Amino acid sequence: MKQTPRISFYEASARQRVAGLLDPGSFREILPPTEKRTSPHLGLFDAPVSFDDGVVIGEGTLEGKPVAIFAQEGKFRGGSLGEVHAAKITGLILRAAARKPQAVLGLLDSGGVRLEEANAGEIGSTEIMRAIFEARRVGVPVIGLLGGSCGCFGGASIIAGCCDALVASEEARLSVSGPEVIETVMGVEAFDSRDRALVWRTTGGKNRFLFGKVATLVDDHIPAFRTAASALVRPSTPLRLDSLRTERDALVRRIATFGTCTDAKQIWEKMGLPADRVSDMTAAELTAAKPA
Amino acid sequence: MELSALLDQLFPEGHRVAVDDALVSGEATLGGQTVAVLGTTNHSFIGIREAVALSGKFLDLVEKRPGIPVIMLVDNNGQRMALDEELLVLPEYIAHLLRAQQLARASGSRLVAVVYGNSIAGGFIAFGMLADRVVSVPGAETSVMKLEAIARVTKMPLEKLQDLAKQVSVFAPGCDHFFRMGGLHEIWTDNFSARLQATLASDDTHDTRAALGLERGGRKAARAVIDDVLGA
Repeated sequence: MKQTPRISFYEASARQRVAGLLDPGSFREILPPTEKRTSPHLGLFDAPVSFDDGVVIGEGTLEGKPVAIFAQEGKFRGGSLGEVHAAKITGLILRAAARKPQAVLGLLDSGGVRLEEANAGEIGSTEIMRAIFEARRVGVPVIGLLGGSCGCFGGASIIAGCCDALVASEEARLSVSGPEVIETVMGVEAFDSRDRALVWRTTGGKNRFLFGKVATLVDDHIPAFRTAASALVRPSTPLRLDSLRTERDALVRRIATFGTCTDAKQIWEKMGLPADRVSDMTAAELTAAKPA
Repeated sequence: MELSALLDQLFPEGHRVAVDDALVSGEATLGGQTVAVLGTTNHSFIGIREAVALSGKFLDLVEKRPGIPVIMLVDNNGQRMALDEELLVLPEYIAHLLRAQQLARASGSRLVAVVYGNSIAGGFIAFGMLADRVVSVPGAETSVMKLEAIARVTKMPLEKLQDLAKQVSVFAPGCDHFFRMGGLHEIWTDNFSARLQATLASDDTHDTRAALGLERGGRKAARAVIDDVLGA
């Protein structure tokens, strides 16, 4: 059987990802680069600016469904959250809460808060989180797509955590502290960030999928992201005490069951998976093998 | 400032607050009404265990005392940095804690965060920054990353960063900077109890921080960008 050529999400730019996810010609960008909304702060550091401040936002359709979308550009300052960057995302999500498209798609590709704008980026991250809760409150789901070259760290990782559902590839890395940060602060014996296999099995999409935080695991192929995201579009369910109790119970159980594990392989073994083979499985193979 | 001194000054009518390891929880009387008190102390880190401990308290309040004001006492040294915490998906635990706070807000509880110790990066996001109102008292220190670390990553000389920090509030640690950016609603130096009652008297739970950042000159772009996106 002839394979469709792979269109890598990991290697694509933010604009290429948006174009590949949405229906052809449907995307309308808001505050496009011609508006030149650059960072008012980077100049202080003699650092280059970008006319979109490293994030593309707008509206379009996904398999016919109206959606809002934002896509962080990892190639500009690591997709970092600066003042304008974060405000564009907050504005987009609040706009969705008012206009009620069928979903917000969030393509997170970010090392976290932009250090040159640390305070603005941190506050801006939490404005995004409150905007997500507002969108969800009125029934608009926020679906995160992870698989970019910068991963999803720091404030961006918590934004991902606040989403209704996540689609991710194995290449996606999701954690609050990045491996380099843990190594710098705690020492190389705590986390060797140059050990790529260790980084991927700890923070990568497969581990996050097996714990259930990632709803759909896909291979690194933009059309696979598109199909998976479209299938997850459904109205956000209201926050309820019983569902949050259930969520908490599962998180408490996870600590009880896996809290002493120091390597993802130990977790996979406890889950009854062939731990040494997980890293080599395709998304479909791992999905089939995942314990119920 | 010290937790016991803070409690005495916030709640002169009385408080019944227990400290269990780093977790602070209980009740206090304020203006004749009962409020819930919840927080951390001893510069605790916020990891997966702290997140579920705190979320459990929020959920108990929603179940047993819906609508009770929650005074969140903030003192943490950030998210717990460890491979085994990240292995179990720390972002999911922090987001769960934020959802529990959101449920409390949606159930009618006012959330007021009082920063009295450290409040750093992911720890401050997890517990404090998503309250309706965030205030600081003397001794509070807010920070995303230390200047030394920013210097290392941005490859800028520390002296230049220290000079820049005198001119702008966008990156350097400190409550005054955070206030100018709109990240703290108020900085309290006295009359904590009266100020807390006044804060609770307002029922505005909207996120006003971008407007505050504009008004105070620290964050001049964010509000306009949000408005332009809304109006596009």
